[in-house]
Amino acid sequence: MNNRVEQVRQEALQAIAQASGLEELQQVRNTYLSKKGAIQELMSLMRNLSREEKPAFGQLVNACKDAVTKALEEKQAELGKAAMNARLASEKLDITVPGDRFEIGTVHPLMLMQREIEDLFIGMGYKVAEGPEVELDHYNFELANIPKDHPARDMQDTFYIDPNTLLRTHTTAMQMRELEKAEGKTPIKLICPGKVYRRDDDDATHSHQFMQVEGLVVGENVTLADLKGTLTYMADTIFGGGRKVRFRPSYFPFTEPSVEVDVSCPFCNGKGCSVCKGSGWIEILGAGMVHPHVLEMNGFDSEKCSGFAFGVGLERVTMLKYGIDDIRNFYTNDMRFLKIFDRYD
Amino acid sequence: MKLSYKWLSEYVDLSGISPAELAEKMTTAGLEVEGVEPMASGTNLVIAEVLECRAHPDSDHLHVTKVRVGEGEENILQIVCGAPNVAAGQKVIVALIGAELPGGKILNKPVRGQESHGMICALFELGVDRHWLSEEQLNGIEVLPEDAPVGETDVFGYLGLDDTILDVSLTPNRADCLSMWNMAKEVGAILRRPVTWPDYAGRSDKGEKGDLAITLNTDKCTCYYGKIVNHVKVGPSPKWMVNYLHAAGINSINNVVDISNFVMLETGQPLHYYDLAKLPAPEITVVDDREMKMTALDGVEFDIHPGDLLITTNGEATGIAGIMGGEESMIDENTKGILIEAANFNATAIRKTSIRLNLITEAAQRFTKGFESLAMRKAVDRSIQLLEEYADASGLEETVIAGSENYTPVTVRETLTHCNTLLGTAFTMEQVEDVLTALDFKPEINGDEIICHVPSYRIDIERPADIDEEVIRMIGFDSLQDTLPNVSATVGQLTPVQRARRLIREVMTGAGLHEIVTYTLVGDDYIQNAYCPIGEPVVLAMPMSEARKYVRTSLINSVLECVQYNRAHQNADNHFFEVSKVYGKGTEDERLAIVLDGEIHNDPLHGNVIHGDFYAMKGLIMTWLARCGYNANRVSVTENKTDTVHFHPYASAEVWIDKTCLGVFGRIHPEYAKKFDLGDVVYAELSIQPVLEGKAGRIRYTAPEKYPSVSRDIALVVKKEITVKEVLDTVRKSGNRKIVRSSEIFDIYEGSHVEEGYKSVALRIIYQAADHTLTEEEISAAHQAILTGLEKNLKASLRA
Repeated sequence: MNNRVEQVRQEALQAIAQASGLEELQQVRNTYLSKKGAIQELMSLMRNLSREEKPAFGQLVNACKDAVTKALEEKQAELGKAAMNARLASEKLDITVPGDRFEIGTVHPLMLMQREIEDLFIGMGYKVAEGPEVELDHYNFELANIPKDHPARDMQDTFYIDPNTLLRTHTTAMQMRELEKAEGKTPIKLICPGKVYRRDDDDATHSHQFMQVEGLVVGENVTLADLKGTLTYMADTIFGGGRKVRFRPSYFPFTEPSVEVDVSCPFCNGKGCSVCKGSGWIEILGAGMVHPHVLEMNGFDSEKCSGFAFGVGLERVTMLKYGIDDIRNFYTNDMRFLKIFDRYD
Repeated sequence: MKLSYKWLSEYVDLSGISPAELAEKMTTAGLEVEGVEPMASGTNLVIAEVLECRAHPDSDHLHVTKVRVGEGEENILQIVCGAPNVAAGQKVIVALIGAELPGGKILNKPVRGQESHGMICALFELGVDRHWLSEEQLNGIEVLPEDAPVGETDVFGYLGLDDTILDVSLTPNRADCLSMWNMAKEVGAILRRPVTWPDYAGRSDKGEKGDLAITLNTDKCTCYYGKIVNHVKVGPSPKWMVNYLHAAGINSINNVVDISNFVMLETGQPLHYYDLAKLPAPEITVVDDREMKMTALDGVEFDIHPGDLLITTNGEATGIAGIMGGEESMIDENTKGILIEAANFNATAIRKTSIRLNLITEAAQRFTKGFESLAMRKAVDRSIQLLEEYADASGLEETVIAGSENYTPVTVRETLTHCNTLLGTAFTMEQVEDVLTALDFKPEINGDEIICHVPSYRIDIERPADIDEEVIRMIGFDSLQDTLPNVSATVGQLTPVQRARRLIREVMTGAGLHEIVTYTLVGDDYIQNAYCPIGEPVVLAMPMSEARKYVRTSLINSVLECVQYNRAHQNADNHFFEVSKVYGKGTEDERLAIVLDGEIHNDPLHGNVIHGDFYAMKGLIMTWLARCGYNANRVSVTENKTDTVHFHPYASAEVWIDKTCLGVFGRIHPEYAKKFDLGDVVYAELSIQPVLEGKAGRIRYTAPEKYPSVSRDIALVVKKEITVKEVLDTVRKSGNRKIVRSSEIFDIYEGSHVEEGYKSVALRIIYQAADHTLTEEEISAAHQAILTGLEKNLKASLRA
């Protein structure tokens, strides 16, 4: 009888080893370990044994059962792993197929630049002003120290609608509205972005419509050096780190002193190249200390406060930054052009 | 302005400072030099004599010459010359082998087999402006006077062309520098070198009493100097004067006319000399009330209107004041006596007339830009001095002055403290005093105070800020630190409206749309075909073209044009948005335009395609409004009763928030789309002010549901006319609101499996309770109520 147990064990282990799949293994399990299986059958032989013989035989059968169970589980794990590997292999992807397209649109490059400048100045405590494009002569010229018959008002430059109304020629008009609104109270720190219009024939470098951002600070002890520091910071933000700013004397009716502002050429780092025409500097904007007469006309005491103002052309700085050679690109809105400017940069 | 370096050096010592260095110093001080050009250029030049000239054996126009460039046999060279006017015996300019000329280098190269050791030069070949050369000079070599020194190598010195021209771009406030004398003062101040003006003062304080009478019948002429010189001798001007006039860009005519121009350049005062004999009488009246025609110096006839300043003699017009003299009284070679006019005409009047007549003369420009009132006296004094010296002037009469110069010396008080405070600098009194002294402001220092006595020609200096500008530009902007304003703290932030405007860009770009910016000015067609025009169009008084005549009253046409452009350039799937103001007379609106053309999401590879159709547009608008705080129960979409010209009448709708209509969206009418060569395009133009400025809903927190939800689907067949809204409304009314969490349409079908005139609608209802897990009975009861409601109210049948 003991031989019979050993025989069953041998047979079972062999069947397990030979099983080639999970289904076959289950059949083996049924054959040997089910309630009517071969091992249970061995157990049933016990009743023919004597009381003394039973424990030893029982142990033998149990050992056999344990061995078969263990072998079965091992084999099952082995076969399971193989099956999983086979399944995974069947699911192999061509990872070179392009991913799904997540089309994200673009903000217009001028608006990107405007926002970049806005955020820079908001961070320094400036507000963003707004004002009408169809503007009164009063704000566009009169309050900006450009009285009637000033050469800067020649009909060639301005789109007049009637003698008192025009399309604003600069965002200075918004500054004047804000100054007037402030009723002499300081400090004022704001920037004025927007569209402006001038009588220019459209070509690669001229546009009858373009965008400006002007900045204005009025308060006690606002200095020309503050203007320089502020513009250096702005130039750094627009063109990348380490820009230097240079002032050259100039003239605007609404500032005194007035300056033209150059930035060290971002293409050659000031060494001289074709973009800066060898000078190492690129003119980017006009600025100055708010003319005392402008302050006075708007109800400020020019003895007690001072201010600076600057105005930058968004097209100009965007063109310089990216080497865009034709200003009309901004207004034809060719999709291929728009898609280039897909992030703050 | 064109500034002659050589001329300038007659007033200021420029030794040791090259034209380029001077240009840089001037630019730094605010007189921007845009170009530095020699009057003439070339190396290895020499004055030579043509000894012999014969025809070239192999050419019908070349000559073979022998020229002597110095003493000795070795200095006789053979040169082939193509000029028709070359001849033996002439004194000429020769460029030797290796000479660098504007046109290139002179090489030792035979010409058609004949040796040629240089080139005989024409002036234009040496870079002299062709404008100043005669026909003869342009067609041949320069023939020098017989006494020209052969062998002289300083050819430009001999010709007086050893000069460099600085092209100075003056800012409008520095018109004083249009005078050479004032420019010299400025340069002297920059270089801290003394300046010497010619000794001209008082030269006109002589003359017999005459009968010249001057009357000013207008307040646009405040002062008029007239002086009669009975005898002058008209002839050629001295060479130096011609060269200086050329340097300044003015042609030489004769000594008398040249002196008037030369003195204008020196003093800044425009002058006019009349031929005394051609004036009907020694009488001048300045008027501005005539309506007539008159012929000016250039022989052109002009229409004169009231307001134009005129010079009249015995009632006859003799000149357009301050702009151009009349033809009748012009100086010519027969002129024997002259009347000198130096007057102060109103800048505005001169500007208006010169612009209207398109007669922008040198004099008109100078009057427009302005100059000191004391220049009249300077100009008359200097005129007499030069006329006596170079035109044998005699027979002077007394100067007659009508009106007055109205000159009051200007004194400006500034303090060192204020100056440093405005500039953000720490200049010492010594530095500031040095600058102001150099500028001839004769500063008086009184503790912290600086009193400046401004020279008469600096008409731009009025206030302390003007003094501060002088200080910083002369000391240099490099002395400025980089600081930030130290004012009391301010809050920097966007307004809610500005934030909401930015949100548009986030939502639209997130959905795959590209922002565009199009022109505000449009033509008549776009105004006539505006969608919901904001009002009567704003028209430009003087448009540049018909196509840019109006301020646009809506965005539709500009945006569709942009799609058209992109299609024409093979760009597919053009989805754009634009945020822009539109204007009408006395009114404005801010609008959002959206256009969908093609697939919004186009990824057939992975089976993801979203067509840019009516529903895409609707979803986009609803999403945007939801993000702005307007959820579905505040937004309604209703039948388009606004505009069925631009929009497809059955595939468009109005969108409202609360009780405000924002605008229309939907398919563009096929007829209208043709205008832009477009097919099925979906467009929206919405007023955004109500959205930006309205009362947006706040975010409200609700805890995520704790108990499980159950979903049940319903498939209905209803009449085709029944709208989705009716179905959903019925579900909402019929179901137990406590446990119906949501109801959503997930399929609509019309076609072969549904009876004609009917459609199948599939819904998913989600049931959920806040406080317990729903039982089967609760759900069934609620669901049955919905089914009954649908059957009863919509005559819906459940689909098997």
